[in-house]
Amino acid sequence: MKSSDILYLIIQVIAIILISPLLDGIKRIMLAKFQSRRGPADVFQTYRDIIKLFKRSETMPECGTWVFRTAPYLMFAIMATVIAVLPIMHSGSALSAAADLFLIVYLFALMRFIFGVASVDSGNPFAGIGGSREQMVALFVEPTIILSSVVVVFLAGGLTNLVEIKNFVSSPQILKVLPVFIFSGVAFLFATYVETGKKPFDVAEAEQEIQEGLLAEYAGKRLALAHGALILKQIAIVGLFITIYIPWPVVGNPFVSLVLFLIKLLVFYYFASFVEGVSTRLRIGDTRLAASGAFALAFISLILFVIGRV
Amino acid sequence: MSVIYLMFIAGAVASLLLYKFQKAAAYIGFGIPAAASLYGIWFFFANLTGTTELVVQFPVMAAKFTLDPLGAFFSLVISLVGFAASVYGIHYAEEYRESVSIGAMGFFFNLFMVFMLMVVSASHVFWFMVFWELMTLASFFLIHFNDSEKTSKATILYMVIAHVGGAAILAGMLLMSSAAGSFYFQDFKGVGVAPVMATVMFLLFFFGFGSKAGVFPIHVWLPEAHPAAPSHVSALMSAVMIKTAIYGIIRTCMWLPLNEWWGIMIIVFGALSALLGVLYALTQHDTKALLAYHSVENIGIILLGCGVGFYGMATGNAILAAAGFIGGLYHVINHATFKGLLFLGAGSVIFRTHTKDMEILGGLGRKMPLTAFAFLIGAMAISALPPLNGFVSEWFTYQSLIQAALGSGVAGTIIFTMAIVALALTGVLAVMCFVKVYSVIFTGTPRDEKIWEHAKESPVLMVAGMFVLVAACVALGLGAPYAATKIIGVITYITGSGFDAAAGISVKAVSGSVVSPVLITIIFVSMIFVPIIFTMVFKDSTSTMRTTKPWACGAKYSSRMQITASPFTGFLRQTMNWLYRSEVHFEETNGYFGKVKYSSHAKDIWWDIIYVPIIKGFSGLSQMLSVIQNGRMQIYASYVLIMLAVFIILAIFG
Repeated sequence: MKSSDILYLIIQVIAIILISPLLDGIKRIMLAKFQSRRGPADVFQTYRDIIKLFKRSETMPECGTWVFRTAPYLMFAIMATVIAVLPIMHSGSALSAAADLFLIVYLFALMRFIFGVASVDSGNPFAGIGGSREQMVALFVEPTIILSSVVVVFLAGGLTNLVEIKNFVSSPQILKVLPVFIFSGVAFLFATYVETGKKPFDVAEAEQEIQEGLLAEYAGKRLALAHGALILKQIAIVGLFITIYIPWPVVGNPFVSLVLFLIKLLVFYYFASFVEGVSTRLRIGDTRLAASGAFALAFISLILFVIGRV
Repeated sequence: MSVIYLMFIAGAVASLLLYKFQKAAAYIGFGIPAAASLYGIWFFFANLTGTTELVVQFPVMAAKFTLDPLGAFFSLVISLVGFAASVYGIHYAEEYRESVSIGAMGFFFNLFMVFMLMVVSASHVFWFMVFWELMTLASFFLIHFNDSEKTSKATILYMVIAHVGGAAILAGMLLMSSAAGSFYFQDFKGVGVAPVMATVMFLLFFFGFGSKAGVFPIHVWLPEAHPAAPSHVSALMSAVMIKTAIYGIIRTCMWLPLNEWWGIMIIVFGALSALLGVLYALTQHDTKALLAYHSVENIGIILLGCGVGFYGMATGNAILAAAGFIGGLYHVINHATFKGLLFLGAGSVIFRTHTKDMEILGGLGRKMPLTAFAFLIGAMAISALPPLNGFVSEWFTYQSLIQAALGSGVAGTIIFTMAIVALALTGVLAVMCFVKVYSVIFTGTPRDEKIWEHAKESPVLMVAGMFVLVAACVALGLGAPYAATKIIGVITYITGSGFDAAAGISVKAVSGSVVSPVLITIIFVSMIFVPIIFTMVFKDSTSTMRTTKPWACGAKYSSRMQITASPFTGFLRQTMNWLYRSEVHFEETNGYFGKVKYSSHAKDIWWDIIYVPIIKGFSGLSQMLSVIQNGRMQIYASYVLIMLAVFIILAIFG
């Protein structure tokens, strides 16, 4: 086991956690510009918001059990784990046993599980509805995520390890199977976008909505942590997309890799803010139609793969 | 081996002798099987490799038991859940103190355990069928300890389907033994059978055993019969008894010359069972019926793994076969542990609240913290969340499906890939379902104050029984490399070759992909410190925590405002109504200000599509036959005379 991998893992996760409010601040300003608003005063607004929340006193619903109390910590830790194991700075084999595609998909499920239980635990009517909707959104996008990423796994020869997938995609072999790769990438991109909780599928900033609605009963430091966990969740899901589908350019220096990763993340945020800025909220039922379209794209990529192999 | 069997039989006899002393019967009747199972766990684990034989000389014919690695593996699963259920049963039997004889319950419980063990070790067609039927019969009596009208209906349905299945198995076994010219299992392997005959036998075995396993569409008895039984028996039935059917499928398919399309057929039925099982589970209000539908789902997942195994054996790819079977067999033991745990947890809730309807529970986590914790672990394990055991076996299943897809033709690739998608969807729906179950029962505010007031933590042995399985869930998750190596040993016996399924602290798939529950736990635990450090750094000493009622937009909060089980899945039921065909009753009583009653009940439509025509056909047939048997004595007497006349004529001219 190489100790440098572990060192890079620690640097990577700490750096991204510390930068994440900055990324969120930049995203908020981008969105404001697209909507011709002024937006937050500067890019550091999210830091101030979160620090302010940490200092506020807390309220707790009487019915909350230990699940409600520990959920923000657990959610934060789960998302930090996903970000830690994504092969951004480290790419050795030492941590490959933690950077498995299915493991990461199921870590997202673990996050959803804890989030859902905590939301109903709060006893709040809105949180409960939000918890239910969060599960439904996952139901719509999960088949697309699995199908499109499994097609890439097929291309990579059946290895589900993210490091191996990344190595395969960044090799010239990918040019031979480009159509398959592009279809599956577009499908996955759609799923990523839905999972980040943006319009037209969700309004993450609004109370009584899918993502924030679940937090209705949280206050003070737990709300701050839950906010942080949601920001990390967005980074994690986009990070998964970037790791699988946009590993170029490949550089040896881990710190340059990290910077490149952050730049790609901001590019995604830029386009995502554009879509968010120009679209209106869909009803949850309409998400299903959009999701079936994405699933169809993923299925086309599977068919192309099968035909290409014959 | 004989010691374990005899201990159970002794337990049965002792329990029956104590039928007058309820308390003693509970301790002896469930204490002895607990001891026997504990010894069984040790014994079967030690005998996972190698074969043990036992011959019991009966007056007419000898009963031969052969415990090979496959049998030992299933015996281990039976003993593991049996131990937890017996320990739990000692205190749980209290529930039945007023209504039934606990001695009789212990008697059937012991017999049920020993018959299950004998089924997986019998090596002769006659004895296998005898113990198979006796196992069904013992569980039939155990269900009847909850006596109600609904129970009778459930048991009749159970008996009918079990017997149709039993007949199919018997037919298949007799065809096999006529082809082999022997009744002993050891002579069946490698017997040359014509392809058509082999297909007939395979279908008889698959649907015969499938009826016991609860494979779609023969699953209808399962959600009726399993909830009707006392909870520790439900745990055994759902966690273990249906696994004997999986044992049967694997055992019988080892004899036949396999065809790759059978593997694909098993995959298709597995995927259908998994998806439909979880979809129906989501609509249930009755905790135990919900868990029973989840058994249909998990049998589907097991069949996905085993299907790849059979596909691999059929195509002569022993490594792929091993990859499939490790997913299947690992899920067999995993499902046994977490489903057993969930049924015991549900039983504890029933023990203290006397209701199976989760809509009127709520907030029990504060009254029964240990039960709630155990149930949460079970719920997380069944939802395949890392690092618990369910994740490991589903990961193996995913890996084997990927390998199978890569190595097959166009149709095969698409079917296997769709099976992967079905498995992923099943996972999402299972998470949704168990968020619902756990949170509606254990969290939030109580929906019925009276029930909540009376609830308290269950007695110590019930908690102990649950925590045995909690420990098993965690151990099978974190200790996955060790467990996988052991299971590979069993699989090598089935397929003739295995692969290295462990690498250090990780489990390894055929493709070389590795995953490590331990490593992810270490990373996760260290990440927990990050938010803790943040709260320490930004700590404000003046802040105090206030407890309030949940926010209700300024209105006065009432516990009826919080979400219940049906609205939680409301949108899903709306989306999936083409499948559920819910019956909606909407009733306005007493004018404008009166209460409005609304109820919506999802139907298992397969009952109407498949079973109602069969039942109608049979009752029509019986109607026709009733011409012969119309209840008149004179007619029957004339039958006797006619028969006599026929015999006389035959005797004279024949």
